[in-house]
Amino acid sequence: MPSASDPTRAHRLGGPLRAVAILALAAAVLSFPSWAPNPYILSAGVVVLNYAVLSTSWNFVGGFTGYISLGHGALAGLGGYATGLLVVRAGLPSFVALAAATLLVAAVAVPIGYAALRVRGASFVIVSIALVLILLLVAQSWASLTGGSRGLVVPRPFPGLLRPEHHRIFFYLFAALLALALLVWWLVDRSRFGLGLKAIREDEDKAESLGTPTFAYKLVVFVVSAGFTGLAGGLYALWFGDLDPVFQFSILTGSYLVLMALLGGVRQLFGPLVGALVVGVGLEYFKVEFGNTPLHLAATGLLLALVVLFMPDGVLPAVGALADRFLRPAQSSIREVTAAELREQRDTAPPGADRAADPPTELPVGAVDGRSGKEGP
Amino acid sequence: MPSGALLFQSVILGLLLGGLYALLAAGLTLYFGIMRVVMIAHSAFLILAAYLAWWSHARLGVDPLLSMVVTIPLFFGLGVLLQRLLLARLRPVTLTMMSVLLTFAIAVLIEGLLGYAFTGTQRRIQLGYGSASIGLFGARIAVVKLIAFGLAAVALLTLYLLLKRTRFGWALRATIQHPDAARLIGIDTDRIAGFGFGVGLATAAVGGTALALDTTIYPSLHWHWIGPLMAIIVVGGLGSVPGAAVAAMLLGLVQSLLQIPLGTTWAQTVFYLALFATLAFRPQGFFGGRLAQRF
Repeated sequence: MPSASDPTRAHRLGGPLRAVAILALAAAVLSFPSWAPNPYILSAGVVVLNYAVLSTSWNFVGGFTGYISLGHGALAGLGGYATGLLVVRAGLPSFVALAAATLLVAAVAVPIGYAALRVRGASFVIVSIALVLILLLVAQSWASLTGGSRGLVVPRPFPGLLRPEHHRIFFYLFAALLALALLVWWLVDRSRFGLGLKAIREDEDKAESLGTPTFAYKLVVFVVSAGFTGLAGGLYALWFGDLDPVFQFSILTGSYLVLMALLGGVRQLFGPLVGALVVGVGLEYFKVEFGNTPLHLAATGLLLALVVLFMPDGVLPAVGALADRFLRPAQSSIREVTAAELREQRDTAPPGADRAADPPTELPVGAVDGRSGKEGP
Repeated sequence: MPSGALLFQSVILGLLLGGLYALLAAGLTLYFGIMRVVMIAHSAFLILAAYLAWWSHARLGVDPLLSMVVTIPLFFGLGVLLQRLLLARLRPVTLTMMSVLLTFAIAVLIEGLLGYAFTGTQRRIQLGYGSASIGLFGARIAVVKLIAFGLAAVALLTLYLLLKRTRFGWALRATIQHPDAARLIGIDTDRIAGFGFGVGLATAAVGGTALALDTTIYPSLHWHWIGPLMAIIVVGGLGSVPGAAVAAMLLGLVQSLLQIPLGTTWAQTVFYLALFATLAFRPQGFFGGRLAQRF
């Protein structure tokens, strides 16, 4: 099975190239408010950033453990409604309410995760869909609390501000949240915890028998993911100011997030961000050009099916493979490294270097595998 | 305290509804048994069949029941194609997750196309016998509900006989129980799996026709069905047909009874509560065997 997280792939694209790309992306995002032609485009940018945060949050579960949740849209909606209700009904200051709502969503995720993650994948997906349906039902029916189908109006945190300024501030807030989510994802990716999660993705039985506390790991990462999702949802509520249960607890939002992450590549740090840029911009464009038609749905379904069938690893790995094909055409050997490269490695390696890097050609007599070679005194 | 007649009527209606749930859950169970696939699109196909029944009545003027002559073979063929052309292409390692996404995508696609072709307007079949009902110990039961239950019962019985009494049924059950062993004794498991999907989807054709008889339909209705159906197969134990049938009847009954004090909307929550309770306390479901342990 091709694995994007194997070390060879990271080297292929080249470190400097990667750094330049990241810097360019960051510069483009941060300067966007100053070159956005009008407030509408800026607000579309906020929406796309919101998708990027949500999709990156989704990727904590989807990317590391391979458990696919279709219910993250509902977790974001819960964060939004919790924030809105805490502001409207309890009279809390906006950002205190946001923090409380984030904790609330994370707390709600504990029992949900407990029920959904004790067994393997299928139940998790079922619970994630059920979560959307049940939250929609409650939000619509409990009208005395949530306002029901009439929606909930959330007062703005900065009342005196003009609309473009409002968009600009929230654009930067979402950008900061995105940076935080990416940073945490990156840290988890490099940690022992992340290693355990990826082991669950590759083979949960083996991971469990090797002593990984699979259930605890899955639960923790699900709660972290839910917390980020709730935070983004709450921030969206403060920005948009008007919550409608049909859009907040929509199965479609959840599927957009999956589509974005999958399209970009779930094993890549920037995969969901790239996917959100592509799908989010596409969504906004179609909304302007065609309005909300049922073909919206059909196109989403078709695109998702195509990605699942033909590009389950995402765009980034596909582009990487394409670049490899053109940039390094000489590498036609079926092996990862050629014999000449091996010899070169052996010659340049300092004596006493980790011999596990060598192929097991010079094993001491009686050694079973390459690893026993380095257990010398 | 509701009157006895009202309670009795609710019990009858609950059992009638439970029959339809049981048929549809049997289809879902079949897919899960064959390929470990949670088929999200099952209820979208259900609504598609309901729309075809409505369309044949409204546009062609034929009785909706006759539309099954076309929809059952059509859905069987679609099921075979779905399994052979799409699901069989997915990598085995990630099959469970990716198949969920793929069937989810198909569900959304169907919903979008239905909305495009028939608009989002709510549709209802106006039948000559639509308002007829019979009295039974003070309870009034609509004839169309009885017909719907009859359809579901006949289809379930046919499915049972098909699985237990025919060579195809034996081959299908062998494929479900142990695909490798089934291959060793000469069963073409790929073909059988395809046909199994066809049979599963044919249940959606029957169910959709039954549904169209007495329900107002609209493109996004399938979300109101997939939730309860998935709850039923989890409570019954993933992969167990009798478990799904018992859970379907039971939950249908409870839902119908809860409608008296709570109203239709809140009564739906019983499915989700049952789902969460089952997963939290008995994740393998109440009737599931070895298979359900790991999913």
